[in-house]
Amino acid sequence: MEGFIIALFVCLVLALISKYLSIPAIPFYILAGVVLGKAGLGIVQSNEISHFFSEMGLLFLLFFMGLELKMERIVANPSKVLTAGFIGIIVDMGIGFTAAYLLGFTLMEAFIVGAAFYITSTAIVITSLIENRKLMSKEAETIIWVVIFEDIVLIGILALLSISDQNLLVFFAKIGLALSLMYLISFYGKEFLVSILDRDDEIPILFTFAAVLTTASLALFFGIPATLMVIALGAALATTDPDAFEQHARPFKDVFLVIFFVFFGVTIDLSAGADWVIIAVICVLAIISKLISGILMGIMIHDSALSGLEIWANMICRGEFSIALAVLYGSPVIATTVAALVIVTSIFGSFTAKYSTWMRRGIVSHRRRKALMHRPHAGR
Amino acid sequence: MALRSLNLPGVGTKYEIETDKGDTIAIFFTKTGTIQMYTLQNGCNTPSAAVMNPVEARRLGNILTGAIIEADKESVEIAFSALADLRITIHTFFIPQRIVGKTIEDLQIRAKTGATIIAVCRNDKNIINPPPSFVFEDGDATLVIGESDQIKKFEHEIMVE
Repeated sequence: MEGFIIALFVCLVLALISKYLSIPAIPFYILAGVVLGKAGLGIVQSNEISHFFSEMGLLFLLFFMGLELKMERIVANPSKVLTAGFIGIIVDMGIGFTAAYLLGFTLMEAFIVGAAFYITSTAIVITSLIENRKLMSKEAETIIWVVIFEDIVLIGILALLSISDQNLLVFFAKIGLALSLMYLISFYGKEFLVSILDRDDEIPILFTFAAVLTTASLALFFGIPATLMVIALGAALATTDPDAFEQHARPFKDVFLVIFFVFFGVTIDLSAGADWVIIAVICVLAIISKLISGILMGIMIHDSALSGLEIWANMICRGEFSIALAVLYGSPVIATTVAALVIVTSIFGSFTAKYSTWMRRGIVSHRRRKALMHRPHAGR
Repeated sequence: MALRSLNLPGVGTKYEIETDKGDTIAIFFTKTGTIQMYTLQNGCNTPSAAVMNPVEARRLGNILTGAIIEADKESVEIAFSALADLRITIHTFFIPQRIVGKTIEDLQIRAKTGATIIAVCRNDKNIINPPPSFVFEDGDATLVIGESDQIKKFEHEIMVE
């Protein structure tokens, strides 16, 4: 328990520092976990309590993601979003998966590494767009939709990874039943739910907490993945009053997710035989593959490789979802790889996101100078 | 003038106006509670941005609707286009020494100016709809409602030192 409190306190300090420097806190939480945990000083051990809290963090992260998925939302330009989304899947997932496989991971492991390699951190990307005051740029809209597209792909990946050892028909029947039940409750119980959420006592927050936990434990009981069900719960409840649910779930998410990141760091075991060369290759590739996919998106959607560079600069950061995949399905070696991937890309990405305008300006003025020098009558 | 509004998942709501001169203004109500305003000059590539909190944004809104704002006085004009373009102005005033100790009835505010005092702010507490027997004290701020002519009259006849 002392370790737990030390970890929390360290996180609080780190959060303050990262907010002060306006860089994402996620890599620092993980690093703190690594330093305090198994791989480092060994002050903090993961136990049942931390495990429970971490799981809460994951559940609330996914619940939040579900709340953002409003099915009826009309995408301004579906074909563009799909184009950009598929470029992302093919390039990033392709490079990640192939590289992992060639570097000696098994097919299954390579798939998980590839998925973690592909999924951008929605939280970091959107916060950095807001903080760097880039919302107006045309690339920002593309980036936001691609990130949402990736979230939907993640649901598919989670579903794929969880069906491995079950009777498919029964599995899908159970999921279908659970989904329709949730949507029916939110449809017919809408007024009741809204009346509960409108109260200003402790009931709304208690209800939100209970709804997420009940769904997760019922899912476990019936043998369907809790992760998917919590996302579905979020999506179903988003049809009632998503803002209220977000408001009530946010404190849980904020606290538990930090614990989730720290204890992910704590459980990292360097003695499991992670190869630093492989990890370095994957980290470098992670940055390069987003450059390729970003420039392709820029050319296909905005007719400009420079736009692609802007997309790249803002989409390098991997984060919460990569870690979630590693925690749910990864071996210790994968966990170490993904931890390094997240730390490197999120720190590197936060700097490119901050200084992309300078980078862009530099390239444009360089080009202009070159163009001037090549003018046939220059110097006369 | 084309207005476009868009809900951006995870970010908030975006409003974008393109002016007749070809400049673009975009406003984002972000989920973090701040409001970001971007302006992009016609023919320019990089927008400039300002981040505001809700109070600042409302102030900016008041200025843009054409209301006069001075450092310590603030006024808002609301136009109801459905009611024959009825324009109502709400204005704040700090009361001058001259009327300290007098009541609203003594000053015959409504009869002389047509404007109505709808609230008085005293020591950070608001008194809504003060009765005619209400006595002004030093440091009171009043909120007056009426048409802009009535407000002007109020300013010239009641507020003069």
